[in-house]
Amino acid sequence: MAAAGVARASRAARYAELVVRVGANVQPGQLVDVVARVEHAEIARAVTRAAYEAGARYVDVYYSDQHLRRALIEGAPDDVLSWTPPWLMKRARAVGDERAAVVALTGDAEPDLLADLPGERVGKARMLDLAQENTRQINEQLNNWTVVGVPNEGWASQVFGEPDLERLWRAVEYCVRLDEDDPVAAWRAHVGKIGRRAKLLNDMRIDAIHFRGPGTDLTVGLLPESRWQGVESETALGLPYVANMPTEEVFTTPDARRTEGFVRSTRPLALYGRVVKGLEVRFEGGRIVAVQADEGADVIHGQLASDETAAFLGEIALVDGTSRIGQTGLTFFETLFDENATCHVAYGSAYAEAVEGEPGEGVNVSTVHTDFMVGGPEVDVDAVLQNGDAVPLLRDDVWQLTD
Amino acid sequence: MATELEASTKDERLERYAAVAIEVGANVEAGQNVFIGARVEHAPLARALTRAAYKAGARYVDVYYTDQHVRRAMIELGPDEALSYSPPWLIERYESMGGAAMVGTSGDPEPTLLADLDGERVGRARMKEVMQVAMRQMQERSVNWTGIAYPNEGWAEQMFGEPDVERLWEAVAFCTRLDEADPVAAWREHMARLDRRAKALNDLQLDALRYRGPGTELEIGLLERTRFCSALFRTAAGRPYTANLPTEEVFATPDARRAEGVVTSTKPLALLGEIVEKLVLTFEGGRVADVQAEKGAEVVRAQISTDENAVHLGEVALVDGESRVGKTGLTFFDTLFDENATCHIAYGMAIPEGHEGEATGEGINVSTVHTDFMVGGPEVEVDGVTADGRVVPLLREDVWQLPE
Repeated sequence: MAAAGVARASRAARYAELVVRVGANVQPGQLVDVVARVEHAEIARAVTRAAYEAGARYVDVYYSDQHLRRALIEGAPDDVLSWTPPWLMKRARAVGDERAAVVALTGDAEPDLLADLPGERVGKARMLDLAQENTRQINEQLNNWTVVGVPNEGWASQVFGEPDLERLWRAVEYCVRLDEDDPVAAWRAHVGKIGRRAKLLNDMRIDAIHFRGPGTDLTVGLLPESRWQGVESETALGLPYVANMPTEEVFTTPDARRTEGFVRSTRPLALYGRVVKGLEVRFEGGRIVAVQADEGADVIHGQLASDETAAFLGEIALVDGTSRIGQTGLTFFETLFDENATCHVAYGSAYAEAVEGEPGEGVNVSTVHTDFMVGGPEVDVDAVLQNGDAVPLLRDDVWQLTD
Repeated sequence: MATELEASTKDERLERYAAVAIEVGANVEAGQNVFIGARVEHAPLARALTRAAYKAGARYVDVYYTDQHVRRAMIELGPDEALSYSPPWLIERYESMGGAAMVGTSGDPEPTLLADLDGERVGRARMKEVMQVAMRQMQERSVNWTGIAYPNEGWAEQMFGEPDVERLWEAVAFCTRLDEADPVAAWREHMARLDRRAKALNDLQLDALRYRGPGTELEIGLLERTRFCSALFRTAAGRPYTANLPTEEVFATPDARRAEGVVTSTKPLALLGEIVEKLVLTFEGGRVADVQAEKGAEVVRAQISTDENAVHLGEVALVDGESRVGKTGLTFFDTLFDENATCHIAYGMAIPEGHEGEATGEGINVSTVHTDFMVGGPEVEVDGVTADGRVVPLLREDVWQLPE
């Protein structure tokens, strides 16, 4: 019993150490903002300890709870659904003003909790002002931040059909390279590899990316200023951090005005406590003009109605079959993981750091950002160069450029 | 099937409990914002309270979950400045509570979590500015609030030596009158009885209270404007609410300048993550002049040095053996319950309901702390002393001596 307890404690501590040192890269004297679900308390506590050990000035843990959100959606007046309490706005502003480190924990403990509620109210029940402030801070690159997954029984049940927590822990540890003797060194090597991939793409002068597969024929235009990025980000002040753990993607900001065609998602999408399956989206002149899905289309509709720019793309990302997430063969029902299994695009806000110079026309600004997966062995991906040539990037999930 | 039925019965009990807290306790008004402060381990209760509050017409329910493990990490590993730091957003959250309803939960899931830490740092680890805002709101009587406890394994283990949550739930349900067919009506009747007791005490126009028992020989002065009352409070706007569930006490504000003698606590006191046992306080001229205890004295010493008035008394409360909490015969290691088992006094801030007129003034203590500790029991006699020196027995062998 004692041994199991110790193993468990050191597993959480080891994970927290990686999250704090490599992920958020917490600096001495920093304010650290930890955002977690109540079900993530064990890891939130370990992260708090690791952050103080890294010299944090103060660690502020904010626990959210989907059951409270459910009660809000069921019982609150309409005009309160998307309200942001002023004290939470103040908290968010302080995180920006003080250039805090941010650790966000994810991993849904009850993925079906909101499934029986009206999708339109579920879509509306998000704190709009807070989302705007978060988007602003990401665009101004104020914070060194990271998002990581916390294994729990509910999530394990969704992935495996049974609450096999140990199996999920092993999968997560594999994906975030905690299976390595020296996870920090493994991450350094990974940063180098994906960084080189981004450089190669940037050298190609790509005008558009073309996806072709079952139910998919989509062209996503890029901006002359689009810059591919991978794994490591930097704050405006030059502090490096890894915004997602795991991460396998090279991504960039597309020209929000130049998306044409149709695309079928290749993996389920977990969104606001619902699971969207069989999503099909049609674009015209950059805008989403039609949304269909086998399940959960109403959540997408609700989200796209959040603001007038939600229906334009803000991200395009390429992932090949060497992805550790892809290699697990699992669907995690968690964007942080699933988006790293395969290529994806996101409607909503763009990342300013993936654009050279000041963000201008064509760089989308929105309060939403939802990634959905469009890649896989059956989907061919080409780069269309500015001179009109097509260069294969992915065939049968294999990266076609020299790494 | 049986377990499903059992589960639904327990769910129903939790919903009933939450409904009593929202309807009788905080007495949430339609359109009000409701603030809930809960430990992360209390999530099932916080969720039930949230549902009950929306049912009562709440506009928005805001739950702030705290975590003692996060606090432990700060005390153990954080810089000195972190200890008493109040995040500005939390100050704003408390300031926003004016005109709103509030529910705080108790029931420590890990009562000894901080026991091995430096007691002085534990004592200093309080959000002072946040406490000041909370104290001001209490004085302005701008919030209808209540406190209730959440039965959990750690708390049950502390009480029974085993994590028998069901046994604890039964005790809590008895103390909070959930065993009654109509708990809301039972609470109305109970509070009316306590109010009559308070009136009888006020009619005596007492000048002091005297406590006499093993290790106790204490006289506490009262003010002319001291008023005994039950925990059936009213906000400044006139909204009634029941400030603690359970509550069995009639209490009053003493003259902070007049306490003389020695008092020995009769029940353990759970304080800032530690357990204080056999606390012996010596009073001189209204001040705590000496602190001794079999266990945990340093937490009390640290707490009474938080500010200059923490060493003065802010509350006296009388409870007899009829108390449902007392009748369980249990020590709950939770002030919310234990203070209602027997007579208690508190050092620190006075509660404005315990006196007439202005919230502050001569002899009325103002402090950022308020810690109740238990001084009553069958062996402790309590007398009232009138201004002309007449001695009126109030409690003998835990039996209330005034006619009811």
